Amino acid sequence: MKSKTLQITLVYILVSLFMAILCHKILTTYFSDVKYFYLFFLKDIFFILTTALFFKYIVSKNEKRNVTVFKKLKKTNEEIKESNEKYDIVAKATSDTIWDWKIQEDSINWNKGIEGIFGYNPEEVGKTSKWWFDKIHPEDSIRMSIKLYSFIEQKTEKWQDQYRFRCADGSYKYVLDRGFLLKDENGRATRMIGAIQDITKQKEEEQRLKLLETVITQSKDSILITEANSQARKIPKIVYVNPAFSQMSGYLSNEIVGKSPNIFKGPKSDSEELKKLLRAIKNEEECLIETISYTKQKEEYWVRFSMIPIFNNEGSISHWISIQRDITEEKKLETEKEHLIRELTQNNKDLKQFSYITSHNLRAPLSNLIGLLNLIEDIPIENPELEEILAGFTKSTHLLNETINDLVKVIIIKDNPSMQKEEVSLKEVFENVFSQLSFQIELHKPIIKLKFDRVPLLNTNKAYIESILLNLLTNSIKYKSENRKLKISIIAEQIDNKAILTFKDNGIGIDLERNRDKVFGLYQRFHNYPDSKGLGLYLVKSQVETMGGTISIESEVNKGTTFTITFKN
Amino acid sequence: MLEQILCIDDDPITLMLCKKVISKSQICHEIITAQNGEEALHQFNTLKYTNKNKDSKKPELIFLDLNMPVMGGWEFLDHFTSSDYAEFNTANVIVLSSTIDPEDLAKAKKYPIIIDFLSKPITLPMLEYLKKKIDL
Repeated sequence: MKSKTLQITLVYILVSLFMAILCHKILTTYFSDVKYFYLFFLKDIFFILTTALFFKYIVSKNEKRNVTVFKKLKKTNEEIKESNEKYDIVAKATSDTIWDWKIQEDSINWNKGIEGIFGYNPEEVGKTSKWWFDKIHPEDSIRMSIKLYSFIEQKTEKWQDQYRFRCADGSYKYVLDRGFLLKDENGRATRMIGAIQDITKQKEEEQRLKLLETVITQSKDSILITEANSQARKIPKIVYVNPAFSQMSGYLSNEIVGKSPNIFKGPKSDSEELKKLLRAIKNEEECLIETISYTKQKEEYWVRFSMIPIFNNEGSISHWISIQRDITEEKKLETEKEHLIRELTQNNKDLKQFSYITSHNLRAPLSNLIGLLNLIEDIPIENPELEEILAGFTKSTHLLNETINDLVKVIIIKDNPSMQKEEVSLKEVFENVFSQLSFQIELHKPIIKLKFDRVPLLNTNKAYIESILLNLLTNSIKYKSENRKLKISIIAEQIDNKAILTFKDNGIGIDLERNRDKVFGLYQRFHNYPDSKGLGLYLVKSQVETMGGTISIESEVNKGTTFTITFKN
Repeated sequence: MLEQILCIDDDPITLMLCKKVISKSQICHEIITAQNGEEALHQFNTLKYTNKNKDSKKPELIFLDLNMPVMGGWEFLDHFTSSDYAEFNTANVIVLSSTIDPEDLAKAKKYPIIIDFLSKPITLPMLEYLKKKIDL
């Protein structure tokens, strides 16, 4: 630096001396009077040297100042550079999108976040604030701009806002935008710099939690949350109750939080159930109890009360959740139902006993009568009138006996709802039935069509199915039409888990318009045949229903009758 | 032919009928009767303590009704099959009743001493069938 000052000074001296010498030479050449020329020349040299000295002083001083300024500048420069580097690193490291808005020129710059987070190509990104505002969800934009401008006009201290920002693909992201203002010397806002944070995930989570929360707040079941640990022999303290709980128990949230649910206990509470609950709490197991509880107004109500332990990541209990439901109505109905069932069972038992006793008490003397009549048979009777009387007596006695035996059959069927079932071959059943009816079949020679291949085996009671088919077949033969040959078709089909047995004849039929509700009734007769008692179809229906099946009838007078029997199979 | 048959029934007509039909069938020499279980047990006791004679007759077949006052058929059987009546309970028992209660029928199967469960009234063919059954 010093040499440069010296250099400048020397150059000045040399140039000035050269000029002085040159002037001196010219003057001495063209002017004759040279008396003072050397004196002037000396004066010039002196002047040059003096000014050179002065010049050097000024330059060197200036130089010194420049050096300090330069040093300062260099330092500032370095600081700026560092700061810029830092900014770059931060911008890269942060997931935020940073914008820089020159308010007066309305020009806005975005960092790479606008590309990475929102998917815009650099050429798509607008240079004005309009582009920014256009991307804000219409529902949010008015609120957002009001807040933003009141900040720019410096009516508010801070600015941060949440809004939805449209991505390149048209979807919206929830963002948190925070910014600060740069002001000029007059305090006017000139620039604003902000950082947009993508909070979509948080927002979605928040909304999800809010939705989940509605389950608790809107639930009709009472929900309460308690602490993990309890004092001895108590249920842990409550930390939260939902509105339904207050509704049910009468306690408001602030009245009950911090207390133990033990306060719902009362004189009628089931202490066994409460012990069960305490045991479960001790063993850290979930538990369900039903007991009478008491509201704040000391009214009782039945509650179904569950306690579920909530474990944290370390596997220890953090809370208990309890769900409670008022089951007072349910309990009332249940009690009523139980009472009714008990009563009905008792009635049924009494009736059954009654029917056994009655039938026994009827049968005992009747069997004596029959026995006595049997004895009379061997005694010759001389008096014809007495013989006639005894014959009538015998007939009536046997009829009474048959009737009572039929009734007994009915009682036994009705009393036996869960009889033994087995795999029965329909073919075998029919062979049995036919052999029992061989006389009638031989006599009338009906055309019988059988089709059982679809249901070879039926899970049923063998005696009942035989009795059912025997009765139906006997009826078909008994009530055949005199004008045409009897045709009977019996078809078994399997549809899903049901076996359907269709029994069809072309007999005289039953007038169903008049008798539909009586067809399967006890002692209902539709034809005045001497040996009909009106019991067969009643027995058939009883037996079908005892085996869990159903029977229906279709019939037309003088055309025939079809029975459809359905069993589970 | 059996020596002795005991009929236990509370109904005198039934007993009369039994006597007549049994004597007709010539299945045994003697028919004795009792009106209920207790009376029958009493007869066995008398037989046991008063008549030590080995040759004395004892019933080989018992027709038993179930519903009787004082002591019914089941209670009688419970006593009769105990060791107190060891010398008598080799006899065969036939339940002769007008009951229709299926429980009675099921219960009868649990007593090995009961060889049959028959419905009243007693008849000659019934006795013929029993003759074959007990191999006379």
